[in-house]
Amino acid sequence: MAYVHVERAVKSFLREDGREMLVLDGVSFDTREYGITCLLGPSGCGKSTLLNVISGLERLERGYVEVVSNHRESGMRPPQLGYVFQDPRLLNWKTVEGNLIFALRGMKVSEAEWEERLHKYLELVGLFEFRKQYPLYLSGGMRQRVGLARGLVIEPEVLLMDEPYSKLDQLTARKLREDTLAICARLRQTALLVTHDVEEAVYMGDRIVMLSSRPARIAEILENPFPPLERDLDDVRFIQFKKKLLQTVLKLVNQEV
Amino acid sequence: MITGDQEKALNISGETESAARESAAARPPAKRGFPSEALQDIALRVGSIVTLVLVWWLLSLLFPPTLIPNPWETFAEVGTIIGTGHFFVEMGNTLRRVLVGFAFAMVVSIPMGILMGTIRSLESFFEPPVILGLTMPGLIWAVLMIMFFGLTETSAYAAVSITIFPMLAISIWQGTKSIDKDLIDMSKVFHASPWSKVVDVILPQLVSHILAAIRYGLGLAWKVVVVVEMFGFSNGVGYQVVRGFNIFSMKSVLAWAITFLVVMIVIEFGFIGWLERTLTHWRPRIEAWRR
Repeated sequence: MAYVHVERAVKSFLREDGREMLVLDGVSFDTREYGITCLLGPSGCGKSTLLNVISGLERLERGYVEVVSNHRESGMRPPQLGYVFQDPRLLNWKTVEGNLIFALRGMKVSEAEWEERLHKYLELVGLFEFRKQYPLYLSGGMRQRVGLARGLVIEPEVLLMDEPYSKLDQLTARKLREDTLAICARLRQTALLVTHDVEEAVYMGDRIVMLSSRPARIAEILENPFPPLERDLDDVRFIQFKKKLLQTVLKLVNQEV
Repeated sequence: MITGDQEKALNISGETESAARESAAARPPAKRGFPSEALQDIALRVGSIVTLVLVWWLLSLLFPPTLIPNPWETFAEVGTIIGTGHFFVEMGNTLRRVLVGFAFAMVVSIPMGILMGTIRSLESFFEPPVILGLTMPGLIWAVLMIMFFGLTETSAYAAVSITIFPMLAISIWQGTKSIDKDLIDMSKVFHASPWSKVVDVILPQLVSHILAAIRYGLGLAWKVVVVVEMFGFSNGVGYQVVRGFNIFSMKSVLAWAITFLVVMIVIEFGFIGWLERTLTHWRPRIEAWRR
């Protein structure tokens, strides 16, 4: 499988007044090779920027990011990355399967495989019956599922997710988190999930990488003692673990202030 | 809309209510009462035209026939020009001039609009002439083209092209600027080819702008062509109108005007409407919400 290696990443943005704003201050960490690694940090700390750097949309000033894979010589082929955005970002004029095909074509997956993959991944997110439907006829939760299926259908080495549940209502988000967890476990998918929600990080993450507020530095990295399918939000021990994490995060936020 | 299978799947995933609401919104509302809403609507529209004709008839009784001919004679004249095939010949000429001029304007305005929308310097450079072109009345363009090209078909094509080019370019230019950057980012992340980016992401977003521009442009193009024909062509609907004017036959002018109007309406609402429906059937209809 594959994992993401981030080495002393440094990035600034130019502000409107001409001054430089340091966003990433020497961030280093590795994601897990299997399962979900959560990047947890307060809003605006730079975690989305880090994701953009990993996906190639932005560049670092110093340091580097690498997708390390057993099956591929690093540097020979660009890494196969899937991305799930905060908002669905679907092409509304294409059907559900049309949107997935758009990704398949872009990543140069051979046409012979399309039908099988469409079936598999649309089935996984529970939308196979809607393959010929247009996004604007679907609910918000369903559109986000299409986004998830699109990220998965290309069978990426790493799936990048940028707060994919933050725009959904609580119940839909909860259901989708459960489903994502189950799907990633089933596919043995490496994933990197960016979030500012402590409960989400604790529920979804096998490894939790905590970032300080801007400029982002690594505050702490811990492994989740609970296996993915045994995380019960009502379990006392789980709640305690969550509390501990929450306290650490609060301390971080207060430190910056 | 939503099929039975989909509804079953929705039930299972617990999403029925909101999706069913949305699918209902996408379907026209159930017809209630008698007569049904659709019939009422048609009746009102037909009634409106009938009223106009009746008013016309009343006026024709008050005025001499040389000033206001009565509707029935005029309709008879319409029947003649259609029946003899005369109308189709003249209309064909007018239509040809509109279509060629239009096609030429589109071929130039689409790339130009896209360039103006993407490259800052080109935008600044081309904006003044485009705005000037827009402000110039189509009739003046018609006069200028005839003076320059003489009474040739080219002047008709040129007059149409140059009149509608500014509004087409502006629509596409503004449309390009309003393209969703988030979708471009998405297409980058999935490594879409440049061709795929243009065809799958950019052009569909421009469609509604282009359609709006075509609608508006078409209306203007007809007027410009008719004026050009009036100036001294020997065929076309405009020419027939001038001929009617010269022999002072109000009946003839009205007959040609009416027939021309009907064809224009069929094209504008029939063809353009059809084009719009096919190109935007992925979008739920807003009409479903109207009372």
